[in-house]
Amino acid sequence: MDHIFSGQLLFSALVLGSLYMVAALGLNLVYGTLRLLNVAHGDLAMLGAFTAFWCFTLLGLSPLLSLPLAAGLCALAAWLVHAGLLTRGPLAARAFDGEVLQRLEANSLLIFIGLSVILQNVAALAFTGSPRAYRYLDGVIEFAGVSMTGHRLAALTIAAVIGLAALAILHFSRYGLAIKAMIESPMAAEVVGIDVRRFRLGALMTGFALAGVAGGLISMSEQISPFMGFPVTIASFIVIILGGLGNLRGGMAAAFMLAFVQVYGVALTSPSYASVLLYGVFVGALLLRPEGLLARRVASR
Amino acid sequence: MNRTATILPLLLVLGFGIAFPSWAGSYTLIVGLLLCQWIALTASWTLCGGLAGYISLGHVVFFGIGGYTSMLLWQVVPLWIAVPAGGLAAGLFALLIGAPVLRVRGPYFVILTLGIAELVKYLVLLSEKELGKSSRLIFGVPSNETLYWALLALATLAIVILLIVRETRLGHGLIALRDDETAAATVGVPVARYKLAAFTLSAIIPGMVGALMVLRSAYFDVTQLFNAEISFAIVTMAIIGGRDDPRGAVLGAGLLLLISEFLWARAPQIYLILLGVLLIGFVLFLPRGLAGLLSRRGKAS
Repeated sequence: MDHIFSGQLLFSALVLGSLYMVAALGLNLVYGTLRLLNVAHGDLAMLGAFTAFWCFTLLGLSPLLSLPLAAGLCALAAWLVHAGLLTRGPLAARAFDGEVLQRLEANSLLIFIGLSVILQNVAALAFTGSPRAYRYLDGVIEFAGVSMTGHRLAALTIAAVIGLAALAILHFSRYGLAIKAMIESPMAAEVVGIDVRRFRLGALMTGFALAGVAGGLISMSEQISPFMGFPVTIASFIVIILGGLGNLRGGMAAAFMLAFVQVYGVALTSPSYASVLLYGVFVGALLLRPEGLLARRVASR
Repeated sequence: MNRTATILPLLLVLGFGIAFPSWAGSYTLIVGLLLCQWIALTASWTLCGGLAGYISLGHVVFFGIGGYTSMLLWQVVPLWIAVPAGGLAAGLFALLIGAPVLRVRGPYFVILTLGIAELVKYLVLLSEKELGKSSRLIFGVPSNETLYWALLALATLAIVILLIVRETRLGHGLIALRDDETAAATVGVPVARYKLAAFTLSAIIPGMVGALMVLRSAYFDVTQLFNAEISFAIVTMAIIGGRDDPRGAVLGAGLLLLISEFLWARAPQIYLILLGVLLIGFVLFLPRGLAGLLSRRGKAS
């Protein structure tokens, strides 16, 4: 069991954790500001992953350059959801009625389950269901006895930059403070003069875009398929449940914890335990916090 | 509620179901068998998802546990023991997990049930792998006609249970707690016990249906038995048919089976996309489903 203490596993866990961090950051923004439990979050990552894949295989465009494109596409999807579902139709009244948001019922979740199934199967229809991968930056860099492939190192770096930028924005800029206030209490935020509607659209678009970026980063080192999204959604949920809503530092800690549990758990057993570990942690987390994502907020009052 | 308007059409459908095998060909018999399967699953789901408002998106777990049990017992015991054993296993599982799981409410309950179904699927997959049995053959499977009669009996039983429960204290209590759980508890509804009863009751028949359906093909495959698409189809059928109404299961299952017969073999993806579109459309614009539409028209004339 020497390899348990090797830097190789540590590196793998760090890469996986940073990907989870970016994906969960997006979900945190969307859930925090809109109280929208977006189960299609991982499918947006799938969209981002396929954008990066096609840009690379058809146009020879580096994933680093196609990431903004993936982000843009997902932001467009956010705008469509906002225009089509949240500002008109029966959801509109509920979605923008201050505190009523907090009790978003199971029904709205069904809408996003439907959306998730549609996205997966449209992708399967367009790209076939078979997994794909591409080779990008697969040179190996040796550092301190750890061999790191270029694409994973790049993914780790970009994810770290995004994480730090998000922390800085949320803590120091007016925009970030407004978002934090809205996560804390949408009604109070409105009272102190924050344009809640505009910020909601902004948060929704940023959240979706982050999912797209996470997908693009995943595609650099792993196989992608139309059905890759659900585990990403589940991982993001785990991170928010354990890390706390609107709590970025808690979320980062939870993302790396989940990645360590998965990477080391698989190393100690066998790869067939990967899914069992993921869903096991998810079920355990929800049972420990039956109030779901709001538990920490309520508890800290 | 108008009882004759509910029970009379159901009796007509049942009469048709009894007369059906005398003229049905081998293909139409399979369609009838599938219809009975979906009616039984959807009507059982309605007990918990409709009456109590606890929307389970993981009902395939009961189907799968029942199927797995009967597959293991097959050729050791006769069919009339294997099938109730499957129902018993599913019911016991629901009883065991029910208390902690039902503390989780609303949208969190929906994703939790989804997570549990995936977790159990991967656990069964893992144990089959450890046993070195990645695939199994089942010998001496019963005829389609036998399966048809058994499934027709289960579909009838599921609807009868639903009709009875609606008239009892349990049913009234469930509807009360669906509207407001805290208020129901205040006026003396034993909320926790009623929820557990509904959850367990809604698991038993799916277990028996799974026990029968696993014997339909000679080849046993865990991922097919625990396929999440089954859960998704159950919820969609219930919502489209009308989750408040015992006629809903028949209407929803009938409509979707019709669509699926046209599309499933040729374009499974388009079938699932259409399912997603229908689910979103009904949640948004016709939350009481086709049965609700019928009742409204009945009142108007």
